[in-house]
Amino acid sequence: MKIFADSATSYIAERPDAHERQLAWTAFEVAGLPTTSDEVWRYAPLGELELDRFDVSRAPLARDDSAFAAQLGERAGLVVRVVDGYCTSAGEGVDGVNVEIDQSNQSLAGGTFTSRYEHDTFAILNAALAPATTVIRVDAGVNVAEPIVVLHVANATSAFSRTQIVLGRGASATIVEYFEGGANALVVPLSEYRIGENAVLQLITYQRLDVTAWHVGRTTGFIERDGRLRQAVIGIGAHYNRSRNDAEMLGAGSENELRTTFLGSGHQVHDFRTRQLHLAPRSRSTLLSKGAVADESRSIYTGLIEIEKGAKRTDARQTNHNLLLAPSAHADSVPNLDIRENDVMCAHASSVGPLDELQRWYLESRGISREEAERLMIQGFFYEMLATLPSELAAIVEREVTAVLAAVNVVAP
Amino acid sequence: MTSTLTIKGLRVEVATKEVLRGVDLTISSGEVHVIMGPNGSGKSTLAHALAGHPGYKVLGGTASIDGVDLLTLSASERARHGLLLAMQQPLEVPGVRPIDLLEAAGADPTDLRVRMRREAERVELRPDVLERFVNVDLSGGERKRAEVVQLGILRPKFAVLDEIDSGLDVDALGAVARRLAEATTEWGCGILAITHFRRLLQELTPTMIHVMSEGRIVTTGGPELSEILERDGYEPFRAAST
Repeated sequence: MKIFADSATSYIAERPDAHERQLAWTAFEVAGLPTTSDEVWRYAPLGELELDRFDVSRAPLARDDSAFAAQLGERAGLVVRVVDGYCTSAGEGVDGVNVEIDQSNQSLAGGTFTSRYEHDTFAILNAALAPATTVIRVDAGVNVAEPIVVLHVANATSAFSRTQIVLGRGASATIVEYFEGGANALVVPLSEYRIGENAVLQLITYQRLDVTAWHVGRTTGFIERDGRLRQAVIGIGAHYNRSRNDAEMLGAGSENELRTTFLGSGHQVHDFRTRQLHLAPRSRSTLLSKGAVADESRSIYTGLIEIEKGAKRTDARQTNHNLLLAPSAHADSVPNLDIRENDVMCAHASSVGPLDELQRWYLESRGISREEAERLMIQGFFYEMLATLPSELAAIVEREVTAVLAAVNVVAP
Repeated sequence: MTSTLTIKGLRVEVATKEVLRGVDLTISSGEVHVIMGPNGSGKSTLAHALAGHPGYKVLGGTASIDGVDLLTLSASERARHGLLLAMQQPLEVPGVRPIDLLEAAGADPTDLRVRMRREAERVELRPDVLERFVNVDLSGGERKRAEVVQLGILRPKFAVLDEIDSGLDVDALGAVARRLAEATTEWGCGILAITHFRRLLQELTPTMIHVMSEGRIVTTGGPELSEILERDGYEPFRAAST
C-alpha cells in the first residue's frame, strides 16, 4: 500500500483542513482494509482489491459526459456535476434551491464525518479524501417542480464524492444521483439527506459504473416529523457493488420507503445493506429489495430493522426477492430485526427463486414467448423503481436498462 | 376466411382430480357460444386448459384451430395461433406496462397508444389506467375491461371469456357486450363465453348455449335455453347427466 498511501497523504497535507483529514486517514491506517473474516464484508472479493492500482487525484479529470448523462441533464431542472468528487458545476439557479461547496467536514447527524463513520473503513476514507461536500439545500416550503440531477462522474482512478441534500420544512423535490465512469477505479461516494418536517424527498440513486469499478457507497436519510424519504436504488455497474442505504426515523410520523434493485451479470458481486432505524412513534418504513443474478454473478442482501423503545405504533416492513437467472448465479438474503418496543407492526419476507410462474403464464397467454416474458418481468423490477420519476426522465433510464438487459444471457433454471 | 375451433374429447386433471371428462365443442368464426353451469362443473378449467395454465394437466383429447392442435403448443404459441383468454381474475404484473405487453405480443406498434385509447373508450375504461402497470391497483371491473382492450388490439381468431361480466356494473357490462358483439363482425372473432348471467347475452346474442355439468357438456340449445336455465336452474340438467 504505497502508491495509494503516498498520494493520499500528500493530498491531505495540501488541504487547508489537513488536520481533520489526517485524523480520518490515521483511523483508516489503524483499522486497515476489512477482511472477509469480518462478518459485514464476508461476501466482498477483498482479496482482489489492490489499493495501489489507484491514486488520489488532485483535480478533476475533464472528459465529455456520456450521451446518457447529457440526456439526463436535458430533462432536469438543475444539473449539478461532480467529477472525481469535485463539484465542477453547480448548475443554473432555481428559485429556493442553493448549491454550496462545504469544507466544514460536518455530518448532518452532527459532529464530523470522522466521528460519525469511525467504524466504516470506506466511509472514513471518504472523510479523509473527498475534496469537499456538495450541499443542495431546498428552502422551507419550496416545491421544486423539475427534477434535480447530480451527475457523479469518475474519470480518475479514484473518486470520493460527498453529497448532502437538505430539505427545509414542507419542501419537496425529486433528485437523481447518477454515477458513471469508474473504469478500473475505486468509487466511494457518501451521501446524507435531511428531510425536514413535512418535507418529501423522492430520490433515485442510479449506479451505472464500468464493470471494472469498485463501488462502495453509503447513503443515510435523517427524517424529521412527518417527513418522507422515498428512495430507489438501482445497481447495474461495478465489479463489486456495495450499496449501504440507511434511514433514521427521527420524528413522529416520519416515513421511509426504500426500494433497491440490481442486475448481476458476468462475475459481478452486488452487496446491498440496509438499516431502518426507528426512533420515534408512528414512524413507518417499507423496504422492497428485488434483484436478479445472471451468469456467475452473486448478490447479498442484508437488511436490519431496528426499533427503539418508545417508537410506539411503528410499522416496519421488509421484503426481499432474488431471482436466479443461471445455474451458477447465487443469491443470499439475511434479514434481521432488532426490536425494543412492544407496540409495533413488523414483518419481513425473503425468497430466492425463479420468476412468478403465473405472472409469466399470463404474459405467455397473450402470445409472448417465455424468454420475452421473463425479460419483460425482470425489466419490470427496474421500471417499478422509476415510478416516482417524471415520465420523460423515466423513459430514458428505462431505455438504457432495457439495452443492458438485452445483452444479459437469461437462462431459465 | 372462416376458422374453426374444434374441441374433441378433452379430459383435464387438476391436482389429481379429473375435472373435464370429455368435452366436445365446435365454434366457427363470428359465432358466439356460451357455457353456463353450476360452480365446479369445469367451466373455468376448460378456459384455463385451453390457454395452457401450468396447473392443469391434459389427460386426453384435442383442441385445434383449423387443424392445428393447440394442446401440443406452448401457451404463447396458442395465442399466436389465434386463441386469447380473457381471465376471470386477470393477474397483476408489476413493472410491465400494457403497451409493452401488447407490443411483445405482436401488436403493430404504429399508433398503438392511440388504438389502445380508442379501445378503452369503447369499454368505458379511463385510458390513463392503461399507463400503469398491467392490472396493478386496478379494480375488478377495470381489469375485465382492460382484458377486452387487449382483445380489441390483438384481434384473436377465438376469444375465451371467463366470466367477463362479473365485477362489472350494468353500464360497463353493456359496453363490454357491445364491444364483443362488434368483434364478431369486425374480424369474425369467434367467442366462447363462460357466464352465470343472462345480462351479458342481451347485447351479445349467442349462437348456441351449452350447459356444463360434472365436466361434460350435457345440453346444447339456442338462446332460449338461457331463459329456461333462469327459470328452472341447473338441477334438471344435472339430473340428465347421470
